[in-house]
Formats: sequence, C-alpha cells, structure tokens
Amino acid sequence: MSSYVDKEFFYYLRGRELLLYKLLGSRNRTRITQTGILQSYHNELMYPDEDIENGLRIEYTALNEPFVAEAIEDTSSKVSGITIAFVIGGAGQPDTITDSASGFDFADGDKIRVQGSTSNDGDYTLNGTANSGTLSVAIGAFTAETAGQRITITQIPKEVASPDSTSSINLNKMLCLAVVDYVKAMIHEERGEIDKKEYYIKEFYSKLADNESNKRIISSAFPISPFAVR
Amino acid sequence: MTVLELMERAGIQNETLAIAYIKDALHLIQSNTKEKIKVSKQDVLNASDSDDNVYRLPADLIAIENISILDTSDSRYKRIKRISSQPHYLLEDTSP
Repeated sequence: MSSYVDKEFFYYLRGRELLLYKLLGSRNRTRITQTGILQSYHNELMYPDEDIENGLRIEYTALNEPFVAEAIEDTSSKVSGITIAFVIGGAGQPDTITDSASGFDFADGDKIRVQGSTSNDGDYTLNGTANSGTLSVAIGAFTAETAGQRITITQIPKEVASPDSTSSINLNKMLCLAVVDYVKAMIHEERGEIDKKEYYIKEFYSKLADNESNKRIISSAFPISPFAVR
Repeated sequence: MTVLELMERAGIQNETLAIAYIKDALHLIQSNTKEKIKVSKQDVLNASDSDDNVYRLPADLIAIENISILDTSDSRYKRIKRISSQPHYLLEDTSP
C-alpha cells in the first residue's frame, strides 16, 4: 500500500520519458554506529517497489478537440434535479434518462455530461429520443438508477473529427479573435510583410493575456493622500 | 466562431490552409495558457529490471501541468516533485 507518496516519490524528465523514483526510507536517518559515532546517510533514491494500478497521473495540455459542431457559447443547456433516473432499455432498445419534472432542454445528437450519479457519471451522445422528459443514448450505456440523488446534466461541445468551413473552433469568442489575428499574421508572413506579421502576433498574445486576466478578479487600489487636492 | 467566419475575417480563401493555421494557433494557445486540460493515467510498476521506472509521456502532450501518484492509503492522487537531474550516483542500473 502506497502512502506519503507526495514525500516519497519523485520524477525526472528525460526527453519524452518520465523516470519515477522513490525515496529509500531507512537510509536517511541519523544513527549510532558501533564506534558510537553519529552518522547520517544522504537521501538515496530507488525504483518504485510496488504496483499501483493507474498510479501515475499526468495532467497536461494537448490539442484536444480543436473543432466542434457548434459554438461553445451555444452549448449552454443544463439541468439539475432529484427527479432524474437512468433506465436500461429492453432487448434492442436504447438506454434512457428520464426526468419526471420534464426539465430536459437537449436536442438529438447533443453530447452531454452526467455528474452526481452513483454509477453513470460520464459523457454520452444523445441518440434517438430527446424531449423534455426522456433522453435516449446507446444500448448498454447505463446501470439502472432510480431518482432521488441530485444529478446534473450539462451539454458539452461535440467534436468534429473532419473539420470543414461549417465547423466551429472550440474556443471562446476572445480566443477565436486571437486565432483570427494569428491567421492574419501568417498571411502577412507568406507575403513577406514582417512588420504586419509582428503587429498581428502581438495582437494575438495580447488577446491571450486578456483572456487570462478576464478569468481573474483583480482590483487595484491606489493610496490617495487625505490632503490631496482633486 | 465557425471556420468560414474566421476565413472571412482574416481574408483567407484556402480552407485547408486556414484549418492548419487554426490548429497551429490552438497549439500556441495550449502552450502558453491552460485552456483545456487532459489527464492520462498509467500503472506504476514494481521495478524488476532496469527500465521499469521509465514511463512514456502522452504522445499529444504540449505542456505538463502536474504529475501525481495515487496514495492508496487514502485513495487520493498527490502531487510529486520533480528532480532537476538524475541521481548522480546512478548511471546505469543492472540490478534494481
């Protein structure tokens, strides 16, 4: 059983590889030798000495679902309640989500995310019926679950694997405008207009910075002398 | 914003080229900010030979946000620290 992993495990990055090490615990203590001298050993590292299923978790950014079926501002449907149940379909019938309060506002083909259920949390694509009381998904998608627990269902962007001109960029409006600047910069680079390219690249990074600062609530206070004349 | 709208705003007519530029821009965005985060999990192995502590980073990785290990004693992933260089006493293990 692994414990104190935050203190005992270390990683080293070598190119495209991650090397995992564990602290060799018993060697780093100060101890009394036979001659009576206190002696301390430096920390030593060893290879992991246990199996941990799904033990290594890497959080990272990637080119993840770059194009979606509709603008992310339009994927705003959401429902939350204690009246939502998961029903297994009969033979050959799709599984369904039901809401006795008829609060669903999704369309067929939408991608949804279920949260708060006991065993059906995850992402699903609606396939068939999609009205205010019933949503159909694929056969065998769910474990049966009665209503009672508070469950939230949110619409999420649906990826387009082969994008074309009708596909939407999976970014908010500010970042989409940044992408416009980037494309303009590339066009000017092709034409050899480096000054214009630099201008648009600067605009691109400026919008990235704006987008980041928009997520943070920052207020600046400036001291004013009580005797200041205004 | 659709690809078509972007093409009109930027004044580009080649759809394939526009999509390639958009992907490049997304790559830069993901490299500079944490707009969308992905998670990858792998089994930690009890090392029985010299390369069992080597794990491949995800092929689509752009930037690492954090690395953690599952603490099975309380079922939580806990962040671990990076060492800046390999252990100096260890060049190659033949018997871990």
